[in-house]
Formats: sequence, C-alpha cells, structure tokens
Amino acid sequence: MNGRKSFGGGGRGKAAAGQQGKDGQRRPMFRRRKVCKFCSDKIDDINYKDVRMLMPFVPERAKVLPRRISGTCAMHQRKLRTAIMRARQLALIPYTTE
Amino acid sequence: MNRKYELVYVVSPVASDDQVADLHTQVEAIVQRIGGQIEKTDNWGRRKLAYEIGRHKEGTYVLEVINGGGDLMKEIDRRLKVIDLVIRHLIVRVDEEQGVVDRTRVRRADTSRRRRVARGLPPDRQPGEGQRGEAEDDRDDRFEMGEDLR
Repeated sequence: MNGRKSFGGGGRGKAAAGQQGKDGQRRPMFRRRKVCKFCSDKIDDINYKDVRMLMPFVPERAKVLPRRISGTCAMHQRKLRTAIMRARQLALIPYTTE
Repeated sequence: MNRKYELVYVVSPVASDDQVADLHTQVEAIVQRIGGQIEKTDNWGRRKLAYEIGRHKEGTYVLEVINGGGDLMKEIDRRLKVIDLVIRHLIVRVDEEQGVVDRTRVRRADTSRRRRVARGLPPDRQPGEGQRGEAEDDRDDRFEMGEDLR
C-alpha cells in the first residue's frame, strides 16, 4: 500500500506522515500548468468563421469556457469572446442548449 | 476611404439556388453603385444552424469580402434587413485587425531570426529542427470535438 509515493516529489513529506490515515485527503494535488493555446500555437487571428477552432471553448451548455479552466491569456480570451459572439449571431455556435 | 469589410449572410433554406445568386447580384449592384468592389465571394453552401431561426433549421451561408466605405456598408445593411429571404447577416470590418495580425507575425519572425543569429544559428529554421511534429502538425486535435455542428 505504498501507492502514494508514486505521486512524485511534492508529496514526499506527506507520504511519511501518511500513516495517520485521513491525511490522504489533504495530499497536495498535482496540477499541470495551463498555457494559453493561442500563444503556444501562435494563432494570431481568432476568427469567428473557424467553428472548429472555437468549439473547444464552448462546452456543453454553450457558455464561454472561463479562463481559469482553459488557461487562455487575457488578450486571447477577449478576442475569443468576440469571435464566439459573432459566430453565435450567425447561428454557427448556439447561445444555449436545452 | 478604403476599408475592408466582411459580410456574411444566411439565406433561408426555402430559397432556390437562383434566388441566392440573385441576392449576390443585388449586393454587387449596391457595391458598384456606391463605389466599392467585391474582393471575394464564397458560398459555404447549406449548413445546419446552431439554433432555429424562425422555424428554419438550415441556411445557406454566403461570405463576401468588400472594399469600400462605411456608407456603403450602411446601405447594404439596410437593404439586407429589408429582404425577408436573408434570415441573418453580419458585417465586420477586418482591415485593422488584419494589419495587427500581420504586424505581430512579422515581429515574431524578426525576433526569432535575431535570436537565432545571436545563438550562431542560421536565421531560418531548418527542416527537422524543433520539437517533433511542431511544424508539420498545424492542427491540434487535443480539443477536437464532434463534427455534428458543422
């Protein structure tokens, strides 16, 4: 039952104290650092016509995916928002789903 | 005054191909009358709407790239609002944003070239250099979703 150790360097201290049992809930969560997709892929032009590019940022309920989840930078989130709003006007992307 | 605009209009699915072509001619006539030119026309064909517009579930999308002034676009906007066959339209000015995009691209290329030279490398990226699949794979499918909305 030493599977805990596989969570990497960050959890080393905790793994030693892990004997206490309930401590497992406070295990430091490993979070991957998010990066802006548009910055890393060097997409300068966020276009309302490119539905394929926009769809990942419009999840199930058809809301705009927040920055804290997608990791998009402020500038690109702003551009993304305009693009989504334009695409919605043309019925390329839904405003909402039932 | 020369600006570039993009006009997209959605034609009702009940319209025949002739009627769609006729709409294009009408737009063209206005553009010519007021003094502009159509740079590009693109008919995306019939596609499913993301939501119903007045009981319609489909529509024919037409994109026109127009060079001209603001008064021309105002007139086109007014006319398209009147025509019942057009169920939705959108006019966007694109020249300014295009300029920004081009400048960013040039600046990025310059910076990369300068840095590469400073590191003693040839200014342009050689084939096979960089991370694997970076340049070849221009479409990333990490976020790919179903095609149902296309």
